[in-house]
This record gives sequence, C-alpha cells and structure tokens, in this order.
Amino acid sequence: MTAIAGPPIIHRSIWDRIKWFIIPVVPFLILLGVWLSVIAIYSPAIGVLPRPLKVLEVPFNEEEYWPNVRASVWRLILGFLFAAVTGVLAGLAAGLSKRIAEFVGPLVTAMNAISGIAWIPLAIAWFGIGTQMVVFIIWNAAFFLIFGNTMLGVRLVPTVLGDSLRTLGASRNQVLRQVVFPGALPYVMSGLRSGLGFGWRAVIAAELVGASSGLGQWIFIAQEFARADIIVAGALTIGLVGVLMDRLILAPLERRTIERWGLVGSSK
Amino acid sequence: MAITSDPAADANLGGSNMSEELIASHARQKRRERLFGFGRSLVPFVVLVAVWWGVYVIFDPAPTKLVNPTKVIDAFFEVVREGTLPAYISRSLGRLLWGTFWGVVVGIPLGFLLGLDKDIARAAEPALRFFNAISGIAWLPLMITWFGFTENTISSIIIYTMIFPLVFNTMIGVRTVPPVLRDATRSMGASWPRIIRDVYVPGSFPSVMTGLRLGIGFGWRALIAGEFVVGGGGLGFLIFDARTAGIIERVMLGMIILGALWLMIDRLILRPIEEYTAVKWGMVQQ
Repeated sequence: MTAIAGPPIIHRSIWDRIKWFIIPVVPFLILLGVWLSVIAIYSPAIGVLPRPLKVLEVPFNEEEYWPNVRASVWRLILGFLFAAVTGVLAGLAAGLSKRIAEFVGPLVTAMNAISGIAWIPLAIAWFGIGTQMVVFIIWNAAFFLIFGNTMLGVRLVPTVLGDSLRTLGASRNQVLRQVVFPGALPYVMSGLRSGLGFGWRAVIAAELVGASSGLGQWIFIAQEFARADIIVAGALTIGLVGVLMDRLILAPLERRTIERWGLVGSSK
Repeated sequence: MAITSDPAADANLGGSNMSEELIASHARQKRRERLFGFGRSLVPFVVLVAVWWGVYVIFDPAPTKLVNPTKVIDAFFEVVREGTLPAYISRSLGRLLWGTFWGVVVGIPLGFLLGLDKDIARAAEPALRFFNAISGIAWLPLMITWFGFTENTISSIIIYTMIFPLVFNTMIGVRTVPPVLRDATRSMGASWPRIIRDVYVPGSFPSVMTGLRLGIGFGWRALIAGEFVVGGGGLGFLIFDARTAGIIERVMLGMIILGALWLMIDRLILRPIEEYTAVKWGMVQQ
C-alpha cells in the first residue's frame, strides 16, 4: 500500500548491517556541517540562524516548550478521534448503499478540493481563535479522507462473498460483521493513517494563524521576537512527532491489518 | 500512503460505474445519459445550498458568521467588477507555476539520482522522510525571518513542499524500469546519456507525472497558507483579509473559487496529462 517501495534490503553480514545503520546518518551530518560552516563563516545573528546546540537546549531551557507540544498533540488527538469515529461510521453507512455513495461522491470530491487550510478563515469566524477552531480544522482535514477511504473499502468488497454467505444462511448482520467490515478494514486503516498525517499538518497551519498556544503559534510568535532557535526546535519537533506517530502507531497497525485481512478485491 | 493524494478523489466515486454502463449503450443514449449524469452530480450541491439557506433562515446567524447564499453571488460580481478577482487568481497561479518550475528543476534530477543508485537512495531516504514529515508550513516562520514578508518566502515553502512527492515518485519510476531494457540497449552499444534519454526518461514518465500532480496539489495547499501569513495578494490573501474585515460572503466565495480552480487544474490539466503519459509510456513498466 505504501507509495514508496523501499529497495530490497539484504543483510549479508553483521558488518553490512552496521554499515547501513551508520550511512543514513550521513545526510544529517552533511546538513549539520553546512549549518555549522555557515555560522563559522558568516556568524549570523541568533534571530537568523541559531547554533545547533542552542536549538538542542530549547526543550530544556524554554519552559513553554512542553506545554505547547502538549497543546498541539492534545488538539490532534481530539480532532482525529472525532474525525475517525464520524468518518468510519459515515463511510460504512454510505458504502453500503450504492445510491448514497453516488450521491455523496461529488460532495466528497468538492470538499477535498477545498483543502482544509482554506477553511481556516471561516473556522475562525465561526469558532473564534482557540482549540475549538483548531479541532474543527483537524476534523475537516481528516474526515473526508477517512470517509472516502472507508466508503471505497466497503464498495470494493466483492458482493459475491456476501452473497455466498447469505445462501449458506447467514443473516445480514453476520455478513456485515464477518465480510464487509473486515474486508474494508485495510482501506479504513490507510484512510486513518493518511488522515492523521494531514491532520498534523492542519494543526500547525491552524495554530499559525488561529490559536494562542500550541507549537504552530509558538514558532510564529518566536519569529516576531527573532528567536530562530525556537523556530528551528519547533519545526524539528513537528517533524519528529509526525514521524513517531506514523512509525510507532499507524504504520504497524496498517501493516498488521493488511497481513491479517488482506486486500480483498483490490487490484493492488 | 504518506505520499499519495486523497484516495477519495482518486476513486472517482460513481463516475467509473457509470462509464461502464455507458460503453454498452447507444451513442445518443450515451449523450443523454452523460447529461443526466452531470445533472445528477449537481444534485448534492443543490441540496447543500438548500441546507445552507435553511440554516440561514431558521437560525438567523450574525452576518459575520453566515450569510444568505445570494450574497456570495453578489460578492462574486463585486470582486470581478473591482478587478481584484482576476488579479488575485493570476497572482496565485503565477506563484504556483514559479514554485512548480523550481520544484521540477530540483526534484526530478534528484529523484533520478536516487532511482539510479540504490546505495545513495538508501543513504538519503531517512533524511528525506524526516524532512517530508516537517510540512512546508512549519518552515514558514523561519522563511519569514530569512526573507521577510516577500515572494521568496512563499516560493520557498511551495518548492519545499513539492519536492518530496516529486523525488519519491521519480525514484520509483526510475526503479521500476526493468533492468533488462537497460542491459539490452547497453549491449547494443548505447552510451549512458543515451540510455537515460531513451530508456529511463520514457520509462519513468508516468510515475514522474503522478509525482508532479501530487506535488502541485501539496504546493497549492502551501501556497494558500503562505498567502494567509505573507499576504501580498492572491486567493489565500483574499479570504484571510476578508475574514479580518468580517466580510464572510467573500470568505465563502474565495473558498468556492479555490475549490473550483483546483478541480479545474486537476481534472482538465494534470489528470489528462498523467493518463495520457500512462497510456503512451506506461507499457514500459509491464
């Protein structure tokens, strides 16, 4: 399901394994080297480019760091849970009926075209500045992805499977529970996974202009006070949180679902 | 799934089933059904506007929260008459084009490099994935401290956002070209530049095009965010500025235009190009 197929990794020896553990660090080191030499040569003001060590110190020295990280993550969890529940339920309901699916199809397309970011000004007008507005934007960014994927997953379960169970005397409920839901699960999972990714981007964008706390707002304010160390630390934290959430929670979950249930009726 | 676009839009919900039915039918009936199908896809929007109108009539919200749908139409003619709409649309599209140009110039060669050399790809992938996870928007504050509230700030985040899908998809495209083709051309005496030009470029084309479409889609989002914060005209600025002024009909109008414009770019330009290249060059990958 992943768009990026990694190269086949063949571990020939322990030395090879160690080598390939170290080599991917090299690009980061090159970047660090460029960063350090720019500082050495141009000695820019801290507001323009901070020293790497100064950036590393931010989580320990700035007492606003952790509360802002917590605020952003908390908003993401709220908005994402809301989007996951509504998206999966609505997607299942819509996917079960061809007429509903065809009816909402164009709406989903249109809503996806108006990207979540474009909703920010209207959301500020509706909810004011703060958590409510940010949660709405996360919901908006994730809902249509989760909804669309769930609906697609349900529609792609071959009707033959359900029909054959019905002829064996299964009730409609049993077909739903044992054929449709598990069949749609891989799609649901991949919808949830991309939904969380888009949601996290949306949090940062929404906080940038429409919140009084959170990582996005913090780095935006830091720009006004020429605190590039906070900006860089914040941006790196945003990347780290995104990668960790995806790698530790969602990617394994998605892989497991696909391994357990397979991609029923999919050409991929 | 990190690099793919919205699967819902890709699924072309409803449309694909309908086209299957159409193949069998008569030409005249086909035309009638297509018109009917188009009309049918408008129905949800009619319902949406009706709900909007109903909410407006029943709840009578403050004019800074929700307005009568007809006011949005009035606002449309207003911004057209003012001349701001054409100016802002061309400003936004110009920024997108400029960003796309540089994204392509940087992203595609980099993708080729990673696609041709497995070791470089393995070394670079973790770094690329990490920076891909930091959305371009998160770099907006740093770009402002570097470039100020200028065009460079907007361009830089568009380019940054676009590069990742372009690099990854070009890399996949190059990698999926069967090595047999390379070896065959090589054994017939082709030079490396020749192999790249005649084997890898056409072979990777469909995937590059997918990357370009995704990249422009992501770049479009970055552009809107950039225009919110940096300003200087453009559709993102239009809706953000209208919100500050409390003119909600302009906000909603701007959103509708953003959506419609993106659908037009995607459906009339990017997708046809992608499908055309897949049909013309896609055979190489099988």
